[in-house]
Amino acid sequence: MIRFVNVKKLYSHDVVALNNVNLHIKPGEFVSIVGQSGTGKTTLVKTLISEEKIDGGRIVVGGWDITRIKRSEVPVLRRQIGVIFQDFKLLPKKTLLENVAFALQVCGSGRKKINTIAPHVMRIVNLEDKLARYPFEVSGGEQQRVAIARALVHRPKILLADEPTGNLDSINANEIIDLLLRINKFGTTVILVTHNREIVNRLRRRVITIENGQIVSDQAVGKYLL
Amino acid sequence: MLFISLLRAVKFSLQDIIRNIWLSLVIIIILILALFSINLLYTVKVIGQATVSAVKEKIDVSLFLKNDATEEEILALSQRLKSLPDVKNVDYISKDKALAAFTDKHQDNQEIIDALKQLKRNPLSPTLIIKPNSFESIDDLSKRLDALDSPLIESRNFANYKLMLQKIDSITAKVAEAGLLISLIFAVITILVVYNSVRVATYTHRREIAIMRLVGASNWFIKLPFVFSGLIYALVSLGAIVAVYFLFLTVLQPYLEAFFVGYNINLLEHYRENFFTIFATQFVAAALVNIIASLSALRVYSKI
Repeated sequence: MIRFVNVKKLYSHDVVALNNVNLHIKPGEFVSIVGQSGTGKTTLVKTLISEEKIDGGRIVVGGWDITRIKRSEVPVLRRQIGVIFQDFKLLPKKTLLENVAFALQVCGSGRKKINTIAPHVMRIVNLEDKLARYPFEVSGGEQQRVAIARALVHRPKILLADEPTGNLDSINANEIIDLLLRINKFGTTVILVTHNREIVNRLRRRVITIENGQIVSDQAVGKYLL
Repeated sequence: MLFISLLRAVKFSLQDIIRNIWLSLVIIIILILALFSINLLYTVKVIGQATVSAVKEKIDVSLFLKNDATEEEILALSQRLKSLPDVKNVDYISKDKALAAFTDKHQDNQEIIDALKQLKRNPLSPTLIIKPNSFESIDDLSKRLDALDSPLIESRNFANYKLMLQKIDSITAKVAEAGLLISLIFAVITILVVYNSVRVATYTHRREIAIMRLVGASNWFIKLPFVFSGLIYALVSLGAIVAVYFLFLTVLQPYLEAFFVGYNINLLEHYRENFFTIFATQFVAAALVNIIASLSALRVYSKI
């Protein structure tokens, strides 16, 4: 599904964000990528969605070599990879349903398709009763669930979660992780980037540890090592 | 899908203008002020050109004839002059007409009127006033008239024109140069002001743009609402400037007529006759500045 081969990313001559990263993630896996702040976790996410270009090596997603991806092809890649972040990235002037529908609107989907898919994904994240609310009217956990719903509208094969629980209390954080596990059960590959020890240890799934831009550990059923 | 995307881009653009109405109004007002200044500069140029053309139009050459020349001889000479290549028209001012005009001109100067009465005869010569085809041909015409051999001619009065023409030419060239320089400086300032206002507007949308990129919107779709907004801003400000500037010209025209008595300067008519050229150019320029500013801001702030 995802293959990193000798991937190297430099921000400047001295700052090496990723150094000779090799990893292979199979379809349907749930992988946690852990490491301290500034070790290259987010850079790895950014290279995967082609937000950052790599300086060496090769990245293949679902058989597609995205190392030299054209600018015009980036949107196609991003429709195949759902992404959520710590800060939710919702539009404050749109309702929760409009935020989800927005992802389909900007990609040219018809009204009928939007009216079917948007409420459906809101049901998956258990927010069907809050469609007309605005982001500021719901909790952080619910905002993150809207972000997950939005990431699901294109039925992505991969869901990237970059510190999704960073702004949440433990109850809301656990709810989000449960939701990600449920999505993974449907067959979506989930990559969770986090430095939350409790969550990683509770999951008992594959854990990849990054330190100074390098993979220092890759355990099939791992724990937070650092 | 393309049609849906186009419609959606227009909808996003209109939504954005309405939701950020104050910012939109600021951009429109800045555009109106910029267009007003450009029109003002253009108006000054039109007045300048019309004045110079009117002055050029009034330039002519006089041949003073001998007092004893007969009407037939003068008319024959006039016909001969009309056949010269650079001559547009020849006016014959008889002795009597010249005296009537002279008396009329100096009617308030009693000393001159008394002196004329004491002479008991008409001291003025018959005159032929020759208008050149164009301002540029007056030099050649002067040379031809200098070379003209006729016993009727008493004196020729066109030597001073050469200096005057040189001065007019020099002033016209300097005005054109200064106008071009001022226009360029002003255009650059205008573009910078509009450009930065639009950049600020685009900057406020960076969050929305980031989300659009994240969920897989194509680059052209992200850019399209900004292109439409640029066109809408240009169209609205153009509509406003047409109304405001025609009102301004209507107020200005009587003052211009009073100031330039004897010159045919009608700005309202000029703007009506050249409406499409003037305002279409301004629309294209305003829309281009808006669109280029938006797209450049998108490139800087959102890497699109």
